[in-house]
This record gives sequence, structure tokens and C-alpha cells, in this order.
Amino acid sequence: MKAIVQRLNLTHPGHFVGGLTLWSIWFVAIYGGLSVACAVVPPEPDQGAFNHINITLLLLSLVTAVLLAGLAWGCFQEAKQHKGRQHFNAFVSAWLYVFSALGVVFVAGPMVGLPPCL
Amino acid sequence: MTTIDRDASGPEDLQKLHNDLAEVWANPAGLKALTIVNHTTLGLRFMVTGMAFFLIGGILAMLIRTQIATPDQGFLTPEIYSQVTTMHGTVMMFLFAIPILEGLAIYMIPKMIGARDLVCPRLTALGYWCYLFGGIILSFSMVLEMAPDSGWFMYTPLSSSEYSPGLGSDFWLLGITFVEISALSAGVELVVSILRTRTQGMALNKMPLFAWYILAMALMIVVGFPPLILGSILLELERAVGMPFFDIAGGGDPVLWQHLFWLFGHPEVYIIFLPAAGIVSTLIPVFAGRPIVGYGWVVFAITVMGFISFGLWVHHMFTVGIPQLAQAFFSAASMLVAIPTGIQIFAWLATLWLGKPKMKLPMLWIVGFLVIFVCGGLTGVMLALVPFNWQVHDTHFVVAHMHYVLVGGMLFPLMAGLYYWLPLFSGRMPSETIGKWGFWLVFIGFNATFLIMHWTGLLGMPRRVYTYDTGLGWDIFNLLSSIGGFVMSAGFAMVLIDIALHFRYGKPAKTNPWNADTLEWANKLPPTPYNFVSLPTIETRHPLWEHPELPQEMEEGKHGLASADHGRREMWGTDPLTGKVREIIHVPSNSWWPLFAAMALAIVCISLLLRWYPLAGLGAAVAVVFLLRWSWENGVHPKAAPNANVTPGDPPLHSRTMDGPGVWAMTTAMIANGSFFLSYLFGWFYLWTISPEWRMPETSPLSLIALVIAGGALMGGAALMEKSVRGLRKQQERGLAFNFYGAALLGGIQFALILWVMVRANLAVTETSHDAILMVGLYYALLHSALGAVLSLLQGLRVGYRYVGLHAPFEPVVVAYFWRYNVVVFWILVVALAVLPRVIGG
Repeated sequence: MKAIVQRLNLTHPGHFVGGLTLWSIWFVAIYGGLSVACAVVPPEPDQGAFNHINITLLLLSLVTAVLLAGLAWGCFQEAKQHKGRQHFNAFVSAWLYVFSALGVVFVAGPMVGLPPCL
Repeated sequence: MTTIDRDASGPEDLQKLHNDLAEVWANPAGLKALTIVNHTTLGLRFMVTGMAFFLIGGILAMLIRTQIATPDQGFLTPEIYSQVTTMHGTVMMFLFAIPILEGLAIYMIPKMIGARDLVCPRLTALGYWCYLFGGIILSFSMVLEMAPDSGWFMYTPLSSSEYSPGLGSDFWLLGITFVEISALSAGVELVVSILRTRTQGMALNKMPLFAWYILAMALMIVVGFPPLILGSILLELERAVGMPFFDIAGGGDPVLWQHLFWLFGHPEVYIIFLPAAGIVSTLIPVFAGRPIVGYGWVVFAITVMGFISFGLWVHHMFTVGIPQLAQAFFSAASMLVAIPTGIQIFAWLATLWLGKPKMKLPMLWIVGFLVIFVCGGLTGVMLALVPFNWQVHDTHFVVAHMHYVLVGGMLFPLMAGLYYWLPLFSGRMPSETIGKWGFWLVFIGFNATFLIMHWTGLLGMPRRVYTYDTGLGWDIFNLLSSIGGFVMSAGFAMVLIDIALHFRYGKPAKTNPWNADTLEWANKLPPTPYNFVSLPTIETRHPLWEHPELPQEMEEGKHGLASADHGRREMWGTDPLTGKVREIIHVPSNSWWPLFAAMALAIVCISLLLRWYPLAGLGAAVAVVFLLRWSWENGVHPKAAPNANVTPGDPPLHSRTMDGPGVWAMTTAMIANGSFFLSYLFGWFYLWTISPEWRMPETSPLSLIALVIAGGALMGGAALMEKSVRGLRKQQERGLAFNFYGAALLGGIQFALILWVMVRANLAVTETSHDAILMVGLYYALLHSALGAVLSLLQGLRVGYRYVGLHAPFEPVVVAYFWRYNVVVFWILVVALAVLPRVIGG
């Protein structure tokens, strides 16, 4: 784990945009995926919210949120070990990853209750 | 780097230094003033032009309020009313809000980060001229009573030729696209300038917050504007040629326009808000007399806003029939944006709470901003809720919310900034008395107009109706709103009078009149064209608070780059993260080329408007020639920097390295290009999957073999360019010209093959959107292959002139980046247009 964290160079300010870039890709994937899936393989309307589309999208969301949470944890670890510019970079990145992870959870929430194609 | 002991040299030396700098950076007068490329002059020109358009937009607003002040009015005809509302929104958004903030950034950024100019001054000039000419062309439509009348967002099919047969929509589409060249130019160079020209030692975490805000804004422009440029091109092609991108019968979809427009339109709100918030984050610490609370949290908030704002566009389209779950995604994302906004507001309030605020004139406008913007933000959260959104959609409630956000979030901070930096612009102080009158009239007038408009909207009054019957309960509210509008206008008149009078009667400003902390106040008031005599080392966020003697030292030439007898316009090129000096960046001086290129583009714009296509083609060719000639005068060209001598101990000139700002500018420009390309792909897949009448032919009309061979030629050309760059890195220049000519030849082969594919496909571009969008994709690839070939050819020629070689290895790196981009997008295009239809089918 330590080796992975070191390879990711989490004190680089590129991570300012890392979490939100992942969030954006995830967001495009779920919106685009939903649109395409509803056009190509729509579920039966009486299936409600738990059907192949929502479950797939929820799994994707879960993986993304876990990945982002892991990166946030890594950044917090790095922030502890540095001072000055590198601490600043890792600390801001860490909270951006936290926000992105919570953003995934919050936006994905309606998948639990709403059917996908109505 | 070099720190000069000026105490040892005499006053003659210092005077000579000032004279040298004044000569090298001189702004010519008379007709030659049109050649000026300096950021101070151009920033002011942007802002003055923006204010002129603000007055036009304001007069249009007053016409609207006069017309609907009372029921059953005949002051404006329905046709003129539609034109006036459309142009009010268009002028305010495209010709006032964005350009004036860009102008402020262009003026302020180099001064704040300790540079002498922006990194691409001629691009600044091109941007200004495109803005001016585009704005004039668009505004002229009002004189002809041919102004666009489909609303400022130009929804199809209302804006299509069937329902808008005149030239109004064409004025909008062509004029706005022209103006957007300006926005993109500013976006690219602000990004590169902030990342690469900060003064020595100014690491990212020491950068003024205003620069963070502008960096985010500029990157958002780079990514956010291309979708609208694509949409405008497609709609103009539909109107002019009949390519049915938005026509259901032809396999298009009008909702595609809404997607492309709002992919731009929602981020645009934040493109306008972020620099304004940057003004707030700059001013509050100065007037509170302490550093901002939570610098890192504000950087966090800026970054979040920059991204999340791209995930909200569908909340403008909740009523078009999107699945509920998709609406829920965008509703949730819309609520998320309240978090970074809240963080900034709490940071500002905490700074005021912990400091000792002085209620000077700029602070009045800041307080006005806080009140109005918080209200606008709250109604924004209400509108993010889908059921409420459905209820108030297209009513005056939305108009009121939008004005609370835009006027509160942009205009109030802009006025605060204008008053704050007025001593920098003119060297004089404003009148507090007239200024306060202006503020209170605007504040009271604004709330009288738009607070009441919320109620008009909740009572059901739709937007953009030219009149209404009495007895609907709207009469009194509309009358009060109109009175409020005129009070607000009186307030702006007071502000203008104050500004006009201050040039003559204002008290001369003392050095750093507000006791600010940032470097722009180390300039003379008003500044010289070169900003600083010498460039300091800055390792704090508050240089003037911690080193009050710094302006004097800089003026005495005691810091870096204090020489100009070489005749070059110079500043530091620094590491984007640490602020460590890497090279000396030399920027070009005054030139006619930006003006000439913009004039040629204006001819293209007018010719397209009048459907004079041969003249448009000629204009485009002339513009290309001007732009290429402009690019020729670069690097070691006699008109650029033929002499590479630098002071001992200083780093080399950027044109003698392989990592100058041009590489960064090309990369940033390719991000914009990539955004355009992704928007195109979105359009292709959107129509394929969503359009009800989409018709995919049984077999693809595109020759896959020919496209693959074209891709091979492209990769061969790219490989030659890479080989050249590798060779230069290893200090080998053998075969350099041969490689460039070879790449040009292969680019030419790619061009010919794409042209052949295009002709052979025999596409029915006016009958199906499938063929029409294929044609656009092929043209995109064709233009890129042509540009790659021409750029490589020019590199070959420049080797012959000795402008490129081991002594000047910079340009091939930039061109190689373009080839890399070409390779990636070409293969994606081949897969999307020629492979997937064969695999999946219609």
C-alpha cells in the first residue's frame, strides 16, 4: 500500500483535479449509460428500481466511491508527513477526494428508489 | 537569479534602465496605436468596450421594463419586443459580462503575479479585435431591425430557418462564434500566463487567490465554450445549407441544441461568477486588514465549482422529457454546488468577523453582493428541486433568480473591483459621496425590480410575453419592478458620472492607497507599459504587507531582469508548481498582424451572413496567410529575438529551450480542441441513440481501407516529427529539414485520402442528419491534416533560414504536440464513424 501511495505522488497538485475528474467520468458514465441502456435494453416497468440497469450503475458507483475514498485516505497520510507546499497540496487534494466520494454517494442515492427509464 | 546592487551604480544607470525599458515597451500613438499588444492597454480596451455594451444592454432592459410596466401596452411591437429581449440577454452575457471580466483578468494578472505582460500578447490583441468586430456585427442587426428574436439561448426549432427565416439567427450564430474566438484566446493565454510566468519563488500555494479564480475561469472557458461553437456551426449549417442536425424529419433532434447550448451555458454562469468571487476574496482581506480565513478551503471551493458546474447543464432542461432518474442525478449535482459556494461565503464572513472591516466604497458593493448573492443562491437550490422547477419553469421567477445570481454574483463585485482598482487605472481616487449615492440607488432599485419579480413569477407570469391582460394580479408588481429598474439605471448613471468626474477632480492617489497586500499595488499609479522595473522574489501570500519597502526596491531596479538594452520584452518563465526560474520568456512587440487577421475574419463573418461564399473563402484564405505570417515572426526571427545574450547567471531565453510557454499554449489549445471534438462525438452518438428518425445506411459510405491508409500516413508524419524532437534533445540536427518535409508530405497524403473518402462517399448531407454529421467529422479531420502538413512544411523552411535548429529547438516540440493530438483524434474518429456502424449497425 505504501508503495502505491508513493507511486501516486499524492503531494502533486495534479491531484487537485484527480478526484473531480474521476467524479466527472463517473457522472458521464452513469448518465450516458442510463440513456443508452434505456434505449437498447429497457427493463420491464413493473420491476421498479431494482433491475439490471440500476444494479449495474450502483455497482459502478460503489467502486468509484471506494476508489475515491482510498485516494483521500492516501492524501491524508501524505499530508501528515509533509510541511509547507507539499502539505498544502496533499491536504487540499484529500478533501477534494472526500468531496468527490461523497458526491458519488449523494448523486447515486436516487438509484435506490427510482426506476431508470420512466 | 541575478540580484542587482543598484546602490553601487549611480542614478545615471537607473535613469538609463528606465529609459531602455520605456523604449522597448513603448506604446505607439496615432494610427499605430492599433498595433499595441500590451496587456495594460488591451485590458483597458476590453473593459471600456464591455462598459459600452453594458450601456446598450441596459437601454434594452429599460425598453423591456417600459413595455411591461402596465398591461396591454403598445410601446413595442411583439416582433421588436422579442428582438429586444433576445439582444438584452445576448449583449449582457456575451458582450458585457464575459469580456469585461476577461479584460480585468488581462489587465490584472501580470501585475499580480509579478510579470510584465501576458505570455501571448498578440493573441490578446487578436482576441480584442475579434470581440470588437463580432460585437459590432451582432449589434448592427438591431439597427437593421433584423436582430435575433428566439431568446438568448436560441432554442431550435424556433431559431431554425422554418420559424426564423430572416437573418436574425444568422447574426447571432456568426457574431457569437466570432466573439468566442476572443474568449478562447484569453482563456488559453491566461492559463499559460498564470502557470508559467509567475515571478520567482511564487509557488502555487503562495499565489494570490484572484489568480486561482482566474485560472479556474480560464480553464472553464477552454473546456466550456467549444460545445457552443460546435452547436453554432451545426445550426448555421442547417440554416444556410439545409443539413438537418436539429430537424426530426431529417433524423436530427432539436434537443441536441439544448444539450450543446447548456453544456456551455451552465458553466458560463460560473465562468462569470468565479472572477467576481476572486474580486471579493481579494478585497475582503484588504478592508478587514487581515489574511483571508481558509486560503486552502477557498482553493478547494474554486476547484469544486470548476468541475461540478459542468455536471449541471440538464437542470435547465427538466421539462423536456428526460427520465426521472436522470433528472434526479442532475438535481443532486445541482445541490452539491451549494457546498463550495457556502465554503466561500463562510470564509469571507469569518475574515470580516476576525478583522476590523473598513466600510469604504468598494466594501459597500461587497456587502451588497453578499446579501443579493446569498438570496440568489437560495432560489437556485429551490430551482434544483425538480417538482418546484416544473412549476416555475419559464416564468418571471426564473428571470428574477437569474438576475439575483448574475447581477448579485457578478455586477456588484465588479463594481467593487472597479472602485478598488480605480486608482491603479487613473492614479486618482473616486468620490465617496457620489459613489455611495450610486450604490444605494442601484441596490434599492435592483431589489425593487427583481425581488418583486419573484412574486410576479410565482403568480404565473411567463417570461418573454410582450404584454398581458389586466386583472391577472400582475399589474402592480410589474409597475413596481419597472420603477425599480429605472431607479437602478439612475444609480448606474451616478456611478458613471463619478468615474467620469474622478479623472479630473479625483484626489491623486498615494502609493498603495488601500494598504493592500498584493503586487499590483507595487506599480506606479497609473502603471508603465512594462509594469515593473525589476522582478522580485516572492515567497509570501502578502508581499506588500510583509515587505512594504518592496515597491521602492523594485522601482530602483534592485531585483531580477533589470535590463532592457538587449531590446527584448522579457519576464521570468518559472516552474508551474514551485515558482523556480527556468528560463527568460521574451514576448513579441507591437504588430499589425492581429488586427489584419481579425479584419479578414470579420470579412468571413459578414460574407457568410450575406451568403457570399466565394468571398468568405477568400477571406478565410487571407486570414490564414496573415496568421501564418504572424507565426513566422517568432523565435530567432530578426523581428523576435535574434540575439540570445543574457546577463551572466540568468537562464537561457525560452526560444533556446525545449519547454517554453508555446508548448503549454499548444497543450491548452488542444484541450479546447478536444472539448470541441468530444462535443462532436456526443452529437454523433446522441443522434444515433436518441433521434427518433435517425437513418443509418445498411453499409457505411466511408471507405475503411482508405481511412486506415490515411491513418498510416498520419502516424508516419507524427513519427518523423517525434524523431526530429528526439534528435534535438540529443543535440543532433542531421536530417531535420528532411524529416519536416517528409511529415508535410505524409500530412498531404492523409489530406488527399480523406478528400477522396469524402468525395467517394457521395453523402446526401441535406437529406439525413447521418450523412450531414459524417461530413462535419470528415471536414474536421481534413482541416487538421492540412494544418499539420502546413506547420511541418513551415518548420522545414525555417530550418533553411536557420530559425530552427540546435540553437533554437523550441518550435518542433510545439508542432509535434499538434501531430500527437491529430493521431489520437483521427483514430477515434475512424472507430466512431467507420468501424462502430459496421459492427453495431443502425
